[in-house]
Amino acid sequence: MDVSDSVLDHLRHVAALPDLTGTRYELESEMGRGGMGVVYAARDRQLDRRVALKVLDFALAGEAQLIAHLEHPAIVPIYEAGTLGDGRPFYAMKLVSGARLDHYLAQQPTLAECLRVIRRVGEALAFAHSHGIIHRDLKPQNVMVGPFGEVYVMDWGVDAVAGTPAFRAPDDRLDQRSDIFALGALLQFLLYAPAPPALRAIVAKAMSADPAARYRDVPALLADVERFEQGLAIEAWSEPLWHKLRRFGSRNAVLLWLVVAYTFVKFLLFFLRKI
Amino acid sequence: MDSDTAIGGTHDHFPSTQVSLLEATAAGMASEAMDRVIALYWKPVYRFIRLKFRKNNEDAKDLTQGFFAAALQRDFFARFDPVKAPFRTYLRMAVERFAANDYAAANRLKRGGDIQFEPVGDQAAATASPEQAFEREWQHQLFSLALDDLRAHCDDCGKQLQFLLFQAYDLADAERPSYAELALRHAIPETSVTNYLAWARRMLREFVTERLRGTTSGAQELRVEMRRVWM
Repeated sequence: MDVSDSVLDHLRHVAALPDLTGTRYELESEMGRGGMGVVYAARDRQLDRRVALKVLDFALAGEAQLIAHLEHPAIVPIYEAGTLGDGRPFYAMKLVSGARLDHYLAQQPTLAECLRVIRRVGEALAFAHSHGIIHRDLKPQNVMVGPFGEVYVMDWGVDAVAGTPAFRAPDDRLDQRSDIFALGALLQFLLYAPAPPALRAIVAKAMSADPAARYRDVPALLADVERFEQGLAIEAWSEPLWHKLRRFGSRNAVLLWLVVAYTFVKFLLFFLRKI
Repeated sequence: MDSDTAIGGTHDHFPSTQVSLLEATAAGMASEAMDRVIALYWKPVYRFIRLKFRKNNEDAKDLTQGFFAAALQRDFFARFDPVKAPFRTYLRMAVERFAANDYAAANRLKRGGDIQFEPVGDQAAATASPEQAFEREWQHQLFSLALDDLRAHCDDCGKQLQFLLFQAYDLADAERPSYAELALRHAIPETSVTNYLAWARRMLREFVTERLRGTTSGAQELRVEMRRVWM
């Protein structure tokens, strides 16, 4: 049975729509495509609320199912996981409003705000790693920043067939260090030039081609970010002396001013006594 | 440009496609696997040769037939390494090499003298690259086969009404009738129309998957091909 181009396109569209027969969900609209499936906005008829429905186009290994058990403020809660009538697995998740990280960047957030986002993403990764789960496809499109500044990491544990090369580690086998690479790439994505050399060093260490040269785990990377924020020396960079002095100066500005003022007063008193 | 061909397009009774190419080959069913490949790829290969090598209809048919005949004789699947490239790419590159060597003259082998010709195709074929035309023809053929499977399945299990509704709505080239019109035409409730259409679409998807499974190397490649079809 031959089909015309227009019928072919129509069939590809309608046969790809999820068959929600027998579920409590009603399809509203398509929200986006990525990972291994399509995300739709849907209505939960039983609870009368909107949800995000991710329909995967292939049965996955059990790892992605484990995500449903992860409860973390930066991991989108999964309400239900199951299989549609057409055999495709699906997840019903909280419908997160906000901006994807790549769109959020257009709002020109401050460096401090960008680092806060990185910390939240890193905390979610560290939590998942502690449960033996890796993300595999961390990239700006998989991070949402909500209207109250809340950060969500999505699309867990799904090995993307066509991931974004800039965020994918050049590793033969993906593991926690591959997520560290992606987190470094995410930090690099958020930094606008000229980025402080310490942050560039953190990015470079996280994105080392050799997995063994990267941070040993996500908390180690986050600790370096926090040290940078507090004006302390970081693990990733052996800074030159002038930089150490400058950092010491900026961290102890009040103390230095007091010393200068004290010296000045002592000096003044010394001369006044002589007069 | 002269007429196109209908070889490879009738595909009446091709074998079940439950197992992947490599599984079929390993089980000693290389010939059956090749039948599936021919069913799905005859037209894309033919179209590719016509456009890429500017062959007329007869020469393109000869080359296509020659290619598949040679593939049957030469342990074609044994040299396929799914790590290096998906089967479709492997096949297209093999065709390219074969046609470039102008093997046709030495290897004329006709299968089906009673060929019917149809006008050469669509505007897309005229503007697309040979590789794009190959891809598009592959999709056409994939859905054509799956639709044949669907129709046969509906006939077998007494669901002719479901297929009629599907044909009237989803296969309509012109304006689609409304669900209400279809319900009235067949004296059934409108909800039955939507349910029957959903069933037919679900089955079509399954048959597409089956056809893909039978012409890919395994789960990983099947996953990639499904994305290509549905995304």
